[in-house]
Amino acid sequence: MRKTGPEQLSDEQLVRRVARGDRAAFDELYRRTAPWLALRLRRRCADEDLVAEVMQESYVAVWRAAGSFAGASAGGSAAGWLWTIAARRLVDAFRRRGRSAEVAVAAPPEGHAPSAEEEALGGELDARLATELARLSPELCAVLQAMVLDGLSVRETSLLLGIPEGTVKTRARRARIALKEALA
Amino acid sequence: MSPVDTWHVPDALLDRFAAVDGAALPAPEQWSVEAHLERCPDCRARLGRAMATRSPELLAVVEDVRAGLDARISALPAPARRRWGARRLTGGLLISRLLACVAVLAAATLLDLVAASGGGAAPSWLLLAAPVLPLLGVAASWSRALDPAHELVAATPAAGLALLLRRTLVVIAVVVPAALVAGAVTEADSQAAWLLPCLALTAAALALGSITGIARATALAAGAWVAGVVVPALALQDTPAALEPAWLPVWCALAIVAAGVIALRRETYPRMMER
Repeated sequence: MRKTGPEQLSDEQLVRRVARGDRAAFDELYRRTAPWLALRLRRRCADEDLVAEVMQESYVAVWRAAGSFAGASAGGSAAGWLWTIAARRLVDAFRRRGRSAEVAVAAPPEGHAPSAEEEALGGELDARLATELARLSPELCAVLQAMVLDGLSVRETSLLLGIPEGTVKTRARRARIALKEALA
Repeated sequence: MSPVDTWHVPDALLDRFAAVDGAALPAPEQWSVEAHLERCPDCRARLGRAMATRSPELLAVVEDVRAGLDARISALPAPARRRWGARRLTGGLLISRLLACVAVLAAATLLDLVAASGGGAAPSWLLLAAPVLPLLGVAASWSRALDPAHELVAATPAAGLALLLRRTLVVIAVVVPAALVAGAVTEADSQAAWLLPCLALTAAALALGSITGIARATALAAGAWVAGVVVPALALQDTPAALEPAWLPVWCALAIVAAGVIALRRETYPRMMER
């Protein structure tokens, strides 16, 4: 069998190689995904030491558990899988340190009108929804970000943001109602 | 091709996003870019290059982590190989539980043999024990406290119903043949009498598990069996009515209803792990 170099493989194929104990594949996977993952974690945690700690634990988990990804090949992206692992590790790290994220919530819009850029973003997010999203308060945004974008549970969101679970639920509900009314 | 395949983050936007305090980006843009990056390897590669100028200090952290990782991973064994063994399906610990189930079966068989040699008409221990044994195995395979891989399982896309059913299958594949052998040894006249109740109870526990969590559901099902069948049988010293052929339609119906509930509530299983 001809052996292709790790550079030519997709991320998912790399994870499968990692599952067989292939260090070169692991290094390539790290090279490809680590900057993205570091930035995404850093956006949710201002402490760079903590980001480094979470990164290390996440990739150790990737090395040990790559086999469990191979079983989930149906539609799962390697990056999405990686983020699931890292997000849980981040929440655990916060819980251990007993404090919450200084989440850098996206800046409130300045006199917002849909820009050309935003129109182009229609590919990812409906432009009208984007406009309405920009009107939400930072508190509601942070909850939506954790629950919708990061896929965390109510409990994990409450740990990450340092607010009670009840508040998470109320804010999520309020954000949903606001978006629904705006789009009605 | 859908827009999802052809759209990529514009250079200027990606450049702003690459800065650590790129929080100056409004939420919709930031979310769009993050959602896209999760799926698009090309844009992730471009992001890495943009970060070289916009957030070099974070890339330094990435390099530090890589150095630390090299040391840690070299000290670790190679990843567990994926294979079709009970260990992979169950997280390893279940094996001892399965052995315990088989031991209970052996004890029940022994009791039956002793009773038979005495010539009494006491109810068969094997009949009473066999239907609930898989429940014990299933509970053990899904218990947060007993599964060392629990955290990994909770973060795995394949968790949920598929994994639960696979583990249940392993339990049944071990316990049922063992019970059949035990039945042959004791020459029980109704070999298959317990098979249907066994299936129905296990299915009912899985269905109930979507509401109460697997641990509580298996305890409830096993408790119901002990209270409704085992205790009366021992008190009356007779084979319980629930194991007579007349009850077969009842067990059949229970199994079908339970399977229906599992199918309807399949979406709820992934979250069950958190209980």
